[in-house]
Amino acid sequence: MKVSEMAAKAGLKTLNACGDKEIRGIYISDMVSDIIGIGEGNLLVTLQTHKNVIAAANLVDVAAIVFTRGKTPAEDVVALATKAGIGLLGFDGDTWTLAKKLYELGIR
Amino acid sequence: MIDIAHPPDSQEPDGEKGEKKFGAITMTKATCRHKWMIINLRGGYLVIEGCFHCRQRISQFSEEPVPPIDAYREAEHFWSHLGDFQASKFDLKCEECSKEVQLRDVMATMLCMRCDPECGVYKVGSRAKGGKSWVYVALCANTSHASGTCISEAGIRALNEYFNQDLHDPDKKIIVVPCDLRRSVDTCQGVVLADVGLTELY
Repeated sequence: MKVSEMAAKAGLKTLNACGDKEIRGIYISDMVSDIIGIGEGNLLVTLQTHKNVIAAANLVDVAAIVFTRGKTPAEDVVALATKAGIGLLGFDGDTWTLAKKLYELGIR
Repeated sequence: MIDIAHPPDSQEPDGEKGEKKFGAITMTKATCRHKWMIINLRGGYLVIEGCFHCRQRISQFSEEPVPPIDAYREAEHFWSHLGDFQASKFDLKCEECSKEVQLRDVMATMLCMRCDPECGVYKVGSRAKGGKSWVYVALCANTSHASGTCISEAGIRALNEYFNQDLHDPDKKIIVVPCDLRRSVDTCQGVVLADVGLTELY
């Protein structure tokens, strides 16, 4: 499933304009040190909105990043993500609620 | 010498004699186009210390439950704790030929933010072709490089190959360089891949 399709179906807000990548898996983590080891193409779900997350996500080539609980990154963080071609999405609910939605959409 | 501007294509025979058989094909370590995977992933703390006497800095990776913060004396140095961040360390292993690269000398990785045109890391980024090249710096323990040592060439080569092997975008390139290319640790604005903001959440 493409990021745009998932975002529309799960009711996510788009925080920047980026390419529409294929989602190959989901990874939920709030630790940058944990993200470094994941495979490419994952949809990263996190509470963290600082620049370090973008630096790590770019290194492992994520499909997009979803910030849960209504958190929004600062402008310089959004700019770095856009430059890196990483789509940023927002979800007002908690991470568990989003995880259930994504599972129901068939994303594994 | 590693061609850091073209790391993914720079695989050279490593001279080792290990081999793994795939049916009728024999894959030797010397000819293998490595497919790296992370092994020995472990969590810990990137601890940065400074000597107030000589103003050198060093780093260490601590796997203790609580990172060490005590000051201590080592020969002419008086090392004091400057900061610590939750981080991870790992080694790489080739799925094809089983070659392993130990990354003991890599303390953390940092994204270059291109803050200083005179910096060696900046220049590597400027030499890279296309607009989708990202330079990451592998940070060693000898932050000030007083000992003259840095990350091994084998480690840099393997990191470059690992982070480029599965990229979606064929135009995108990750370039990993050793931290001795960095002009100044004091003015560097790079983003270290460590949990700097973790405790700011709550």
